[in-house]
Amino acid sequence: MNQANENFNPFDPTGAMKNLRDESMDAWAKMMTELVNTEAYAESTGAALDAWLSSSGPFRKLLEATMVHTLNNLQLPTRDDVITLAGRLTNIEMRLDDLDARLDELLREIRAASGGRKQRVASQEPAS
Amino acid sequence: MSTAQSPQGEQTHPKSVPGYAEVYAELKKIAENAQTFQRLVTTDARIAQTPKHVVWTLNKARLFRYVPMVPEEKRHKLPLLLVFAIMNRPHVLDLRPGHSFVEYMLKRGYDLYLMDWGIPGPEDSQLRFDDYVLDYLPRAIRKLKSTSGSPQFNILGWCLGALISTLYASLRPDDGLKNLILLTAPLDFSDKTSGGFVRWASARQFNADRIVDTFGNVPGEMIDYGAKALKPVENFVGSYLNLWERIDNPKVVEAWHAMNTWVRDIIPMAGGAYRQLINEFFRENRLIEGTLVLRGERVDLSRLTANVLNVIAESDHITPPCQSEGIVDRIGSRDKEVFRVRGGHIGIMAGSGAEKNTWPHIDSWLAARAD
Repeated sequence: MNQANENFNPFDPTGAMKNLRDESMDAWAKMMTELVNTEAYAESTGAALDAWLSSSGPFRKLLEATMVHTLNNLQLPTRDDVITLAGRLTNIEMRLDDLDARLDELLREIRAASGGRKQRVASQEPAS
Repeated sequence: MSTAQSPQGEQTHPKSVPGYAEVYAELKKIAENAQTFQRLVTTDARIAQTPKHVVWTLNKARLFRYVPMVPEEKRHKLPLLLVFAIMNRPHVLDLRPGHSFVEYMLKRGYDLYLMDWGIPGPEDSQLRFDDYVLDYLPRAIRKLKSTSGSPQFNILGWCLGALISTLYASLRPDDGLKNLILLTAPLDFSDKTSGGFVRWASARQFNADRIVDTFGNVPGEMIDYGAKALKPVENFVGSYLNLWERIDNPKVVEAWHAMNTWVRDIIPMAGGAYRQLINEFFRENRLIEGTLVLRGERVDLSRLTANVLNVIAESDHITPPCQSEGIVDRIGSRDKEVFRVRGGHIGIMAGSGAEKNTWPHIDSWLAARAD
């Protein structure tokens, strides 16, 4: 507010309008932020969302059932079939990941052992 | 239109014509600005351009390693893993060349890894925090350790990524985690009136189970709308008004375009994790109450012994400071610090002041502990 007064120029009408707009925006923003943080707003949006989900639920279920029926009749995989397959793929990926980790560990041990053997051989060689 | 001749014999336009020319120029400029505005709002900028390669994958998750910018002998010994939230893309950490946290840390000699959770599909709707904390993250870390050759490592977790990192650090304290940086971490939900999502989710009528049962995964549009509706005027009007006013400034335009590209890139959140977040964290505050159990293991914050830097955004409306600050008294770490930064949830890491405030502090804190 103070800053706006300092910047006030009586010969610049657009500047004055801009200040007015900025101040209105600030007030509006503050009011809306306070509004969305009230208990009443939380309860009303929660109720509206729940009502919408409850009313649209039966239609959604009907659509899904029809789709499953159609896909079955066409002998095509349903959404559940694809989901089951994806789950199995993830399980295979996890097994591969475990194998990869064991391989990494083995390689590390082999490298450490061969490094140690080289060191032992080097220390056993007679100095020329 | 009449014309006159100058003393030199050249044809000149009457005095009124320059006025038209000025108006025309102004209208042309407005039209150009409108075109620029439309382009910025509807197109994507090139973000997340720092070179990286995939070192591990599982389902949709990927672990990236950034190409180091500093010779190996000058690099910090311990790698740093970046863990971002599960309902946004992690590109905000590497927004654009010249203003990228990833680039900043690479230049300071960190061996950087990024955990990208990916975009959950319908088959991932049952994924819970249990899976992220006890399957995905430990496996990615196992690969990180074998790739980097370092048994110890650091984690920087942001938003829900900080929550996942905290859970992991509490459940697996002997896994080699040395330093943990938490950014705007939503952990303590005892104050239900502090605003943000907690207030909405605590309403009796808000039914997370019904949302998940209906959609499977929670649509990104729903999460995006919720985040924007916390500050409706700023997000739905102010942001665009500010852009219009400064549309002649290429630096502002570039920054706005990059940020808007990240904001527009919305993804769904796995239904199981959403249900857990609302019911077990927001409503029942199980982590702080000490009653949170993941796959039969109780999460005990006092078992978290890694060094902790807890970065709090003072004007954060998504994770209010009260949700983060209490954690330091509950963890078992000896070396712990709270760093408060002026700014919002995203602004402290991606805003214009991040390079002067947040990033240098993270670097100096970590550099003293990363070797």
